[in-house]
Amino acid sequence: MGKFFERPLVPDDLDRVEGKEKVTGTASYAAEYDVPGVHYGVLVNSSIAKGKISTLNTREAERSPGVVAVVTHLNRPKIPFWDNPPEQQDNKRVEGQEFRVFFDDTIYFDRQPIALVIADTFERATYAASLVKATYKKESPSTNIKNNLDKALTAKQAQDYSRGDKDALKSAPVKIEAQYTTPFQVHNPMETHAATVVWDAPDKVTVYNKTQATKIAQQDIMRTFGLKAENVIVHSPYVGGAFGSSSRVWPEEMAALIGAKKSGKPVKVMLRRDEAFNMVGYRPTSVQRISIGAQSDGTMTGINHEAFGSTSQYEKFAERIVDPTKALYNCANVSTSYRLVPLDMSTPCWTRGPGETSGSFALESAVDELSYALKMDPLELRLKNFAEKDPDNGKPWSSNYLKECYESGAKKFGWKNRNPQPKSMQKDGWLLGMGMAAGIYHAGRSPATVSATLRSNGTLLVQTSVADTGPGSATIMTQIAAEAMSIDVRKVEFQWGHSTLPPAPGQFGSQTTASTGSGVYDAVKALQKKIAGMLSGKQGWAFSGLPVEDISFADEMIVDKNGDKVSYDDALKELSVKEIKAEFESKPTEEREQYSGYSFAAHFVEVLVHPETKMVKMNRVVCAVDAGRVINKKTAASQVYGSMVWGTGIALMEEGILDHRYGRYVNNDFANYHIPVNADICHVDVLFTDKPDPILDPMGAKGLGEIGLVGFAAAVANAVYHATGKRVRDLPITLDKLL
Amino acid sequence: MTNDNTQDKQEQPGELLETRRQFLKQSSAITAIALVAPALVDAAEKKLDEKAADIFEKVPLSIEINGKQHQLSVEPRVTLLDLLREQLHLTGSKKGCDYGQCGACTVHVNGKRVLSCLSLAVMQDGKKVTTIEGLATGSTLHPMQLAFIKHDGFQCGYCTPGQIMSAVACINEGHAGSDDEIREHMSGNLCRCGAYHNIVAAIREVNAKGGKS
Amino acid sequence: MIAFDYVRPNSAKAAVDAITKDASAQFIAGGSNLVDLMKHGVVAPQKLVDISRLPLNSIEQSGNNIRIGALCLNSEVAEHALIKEKLPLLAQALNAGASPQIRNMATVGGNMLQRTRCTYFYDLAMPCNKRQPGSGCGALKGYNRMHAIFGASNSCIAVHPSDMCVALAALDATVIVAGSKGERKISFVDFHRLPGDTPEKDTHLQKGELITAVEIPVNDGFAKHSLYTKVRDRASYAFALVSVAAALDLQNNTIQHVRLAAGGVAHKPWRLMAAEKYLKGKSPTESNFKAAAEAAMSAAKGYGYNDFKLTLLPNTIIHTLKTIAGV
Repeated sequence: MGKFFERPLVPDDLDRVEGKEKVTGTASYAAEYDVPGVHYGVLVNSSIAKGKISTLNTREAERSPGVVAVVTHLNRPKIPFWDNPPEQQDNKRVEGQEFRVFFDDTIYFDRQPIALVIADTFERATYAASLVKATYKKESPSTNIKNNLDKALTAKQAQDYSRGDKDALKSAPVKIEAQYTTPFQVHNPMETHAATVVWDAPDKVTVYNKTQATKIAQQDIMRTFGLKAENVIVHSPYVGGAFGSSSRVWPEEMAALIGAKKSGKPVKVMLRRDEAFNMVGYRPTSVQRISIGAQSDGTMTGINHEAFGSTSQYEKFAERIVDPTKALYNCANVSTSYRLVPLDMSTPCWTRGPGETSGSFALESAVDELSYALKMDPLELRLKNFAEKDPDNGKPWSSNYLKECYESGAKKFGWKNRNPQPKSMQKDGWLLGMGMAAGIYHAGRSPATVSATLRSNGTLLVQTSVADTGPGSATIMTQIAAEAMSIDVRKVEFQWGHSTLPPAPGQFGSQTTASTGSGVYDAVKALQKKIAGMLSGKQGWAFSGLPVEDISFADEMIVDKNGDKVSYDDALKELSVKEIKAEFESKPTEEREQYSGYSFAAHFVEVLVHPETKMVKMNRVVCAVDAGRVINKKTAASQVYGSMVWGTGIALMEEGILDHRYGRYVNNDFANYHIPVNADICHVDVLFTDKPDPILDPMGAKGLGEIGLVGFAAAVANAVYHATGKRVRDLPITLDKLL
Repeated sequence: MTNDNTQDKQEQPGELLETRRQFLKQSSAITAIALVAPALVDAAEKKLDEKAADIFEKVPLSIEINGKQHQLSVEPRVTLLDLLREQLHLTGSKKGCDYGQCGACTVHVNGKRVLSCLSLAVMQDGKKVTTIEGLATGSTLHPMQLAFIKHDGFQCGYCTPGQIMSAVACINEGHAGSDDEIREHMSGNLCRCGAYHNIVAAIREVNAKGGKS
Repeated sequence: MIAFDYVRPNSAKAAVDAITKDASAQFIAGGSNLVDLMKHGVVAPQKLVDISRLPLNSIEQSGNNIRIGALCLNSEVAEHALIKEKLPLLAQALNAGASPQIRNMATVGGNMLQRTRCTYFYDLAMPCNKRQPGSGCGALKGYNRMHAIFGASNSCIAVHPSDMCVALAALDATVIVAGSKGERKISFVDFHRLPGDTPEKDTHLQKGELITAVEIPVNDGFAKHSLYTKVRDRASYAFALVSVAAALDLQNNTIQHVRLAAGGVAHKPWRLMAAEKYLKGKSPTESNFKAAAEAAMSAAKGYGYNDFKLTLLPNTIIHTLKTIAGV
């Protein structure tokens, strides 16, 4: 610990190891494998959001040129887990009955797949899909959360929480209370969800898919089709963005599996963009009520946070919407509740900063409102209520440099130049606003297994099934391996993204570096121990009989305490082996349980608001982040830049909109669902504390993928309020709300 | 399904006044079949359709892609993007939306950046197409490709080929004079990972080095 | 997409003939809207007549007019020295539209014939009188944030999405069309139509007619004082919530002539005649601009989600005029 990247062997700004493949177009994504005889599956989607299919006419489609099969609920093959479900259904990541494509005639959500048309060309499949005709017995859909709060349910994952006195804030001298809402947000990775399926035998299948977790995909497919693990091979080394949307198996993968089985052909299904809005997860909409009470010096005396989030009718999906409220401030009296409102939509899923992002918008907007009520600087208010230990459970932080983030961020941003009065600042004829907010995100770690192999050509092969959907994990794992082994980083080959490799957790929850990185570290250490043992055990040379701990690895050499050295290649030659391999399952330590682990951030945002049109422009951003030790400066900064782009989208433009009369999306494309373009983005300074967390993992790294997003939208909203005097509590802050 | 009779000689595009599909539709054979019993029509049509589409519904296409001349035969409804990805296995050009709303499919046609998803392949007859696969010179990467790696101008990599093709054009067009100008002229390429900051840095650097291509 | 025939005639006359004799045939040039519509199944022509290589792509000045060939690419027009000098308003409007890639594909004629981007029009499962006459208007009582505040009917409240056309409407352009009976000219403000009971028709173009050029009169005063303002939900690559094209011919602190048009507010580029009339002969002051904007709004009507345009449009008019006049 603590020695990372001090050696020239491992630059701390290593370019991405898969960079060349990505810039030359040779990286293959799920729909891009050149599979002989592949056929094209195109989905037919329901035109209603709720009801039953009355008739389904596929005759014309079946007769259409090039069509080999049209799969529907009427003719699908038997699927063991669906048709003969076991009494005990385990392995559930959400409560309820998972969606089963083509299962029966019930329609649960708009554009639900009702058929898969398979043909020899994409054009023929697409045209034939337009020939499938369905009639329905329609029911009236409910898709508006605000009209259905009275139907809210509790969920196992969303228990009421209370510490201290729930009524404490009633007597607070200063109090604010407000309702905030956040809309549906759709992940919209640039690559739509896709799967290419080849049944190699009736009980053996290869799937090229888009997943953040090859092992989860493998298990879901095994379970559904009753297959053995070794007979389900999932390839997903390149994933064109996911952000949580590829954390479980979705209808397009199942449809491709079923379609390939039915047709006897390899089948590939790639969703159209419009299909990706209500089929492969999204961030649920929320309605949140927050009240905060404080003494006149700013000491928070009570926080109540009541949240409602949407889910589907068939599953309860709960996120961590009220979690920041429990842990961010040193407040003795906190109560939270979280209810789920079932809507006639598909089930939401993890979406970058799941829960924390929506919850922190409400919390950090409310804290800003409190600062005005107190006539207190919002940064000062946050410092005043800084929690020295986790107020949720009383445990010490594994590390917490939030104060340093506040200070360095404020300094870089020039927070002291801010006139606290709303509508008081201008630039080039535009209204100027400055806002800030804090972020907190759980820093976790899961077991991960990694193998490390020293090969006779002097290279180190490191293998694990982890995904790299874009954060740069392959690069970071390569660095960690090189550092742990003491080998030139160019001699490390890292393999990832295949289910055949040792099991790693899914790439979500900002835990990949801590989990799989620890796995890499521990596997290399296990390999070194094994090599040392073999060297010690070999008779008649320098290392014979030495205690293993007296043999160390430095500067690409194996060294004993007398200074005798042998190179890695020579060691293998000496041992007469071609390679030495070690596999290790790395787990969090028990010590970890004694601490509370979080990443932290402070966001400072400057916006310009046009005085007449009310267009909002991001003008300047500083994000100061405590994510522990930064392994790779380049990819780490990119994670925060990306979060800032996401935060800008969430704050200013992103909103999934349904026409509730039909329960149907009316902006499910990139022309109407706006994500930020290059011109929306301003200069960002990213500051890392870059101090190791001594508890979480051997590298001292904490999660980084989501912390940059938590609190960001509130910082923007707070800046807009400062610019205009208008408090927008319903995201996104489109200009019509400021007119 | 593609008849890729690659030749060195480039066929000159000329007037194309009638497709063979039209000929088929007008041919008396089909009309005659329509008078026979439905079941027979079904069978005949199905069989005919199969062959008909292959033989009659395609039109010739002569196109240069990444310096290589292709003599193809395609259905008019095939887009340039699908031709590249599904028939020629040049999957570097990406399908991000298929409706001209994301820029992931950006290629150069006769030196100009366009969206291959909204371009019918048959309309590119006689033209020169450059895709991401054709940007490097042998094993030497284009300066823009190198700059994207150096500045970490991508994360997942899916929008990257389109970004790079657009970035090269942005400089060639003379629209890389300032960060603001780069941002505006790169706004037709969405990046969901949010690599915009680094994309601008890469273009700025290549432009400063006079990196025309 | 349905299989279709493809022909590529080598003269405008042959192209017109090809369309005239085939009821379901359509011209294709850039394809940036048509291919999109065909993919959605909104239109399904059985024959495409490729006109993209016809020699209708020159930009030249003759007398007081600039003539732009219908097949000039949007990017070619926007970057053309003559246009930048004499018609900067048009160049600005073009550059505000779409993306560089699309501007390299889309033609001037095709831009004029863009269909509405109304989401109900695009979604075959939704009612839409424009797509399917008689099926109803989904937007009227639905999600109509992008929709019209002027000239709408109970049949249709869609807007025309073009930026270029707003500038052309302001600049008093004339559309030249060729048909089987020869050439005719259509004043730009009469080219597009209001929906009325037949929203399926966007323009007054007859079947078989081919746009060959637009002609725009040059006014040096306008060239000095003009601005296209586009207000949208993000900084670029988005359709207008509202847009304003304005040009002032200012002499001795008096508005001699004025041209004002708005986009994103009607089924056609919306010329703001009442505001023009009010401003003519007046001095360029903020209060006059406010009064003009008020005059412009007299016939405006909101439909719920788009009520904000009733405030946004006058604000944008005032902002645009103030910026041009430097007040």
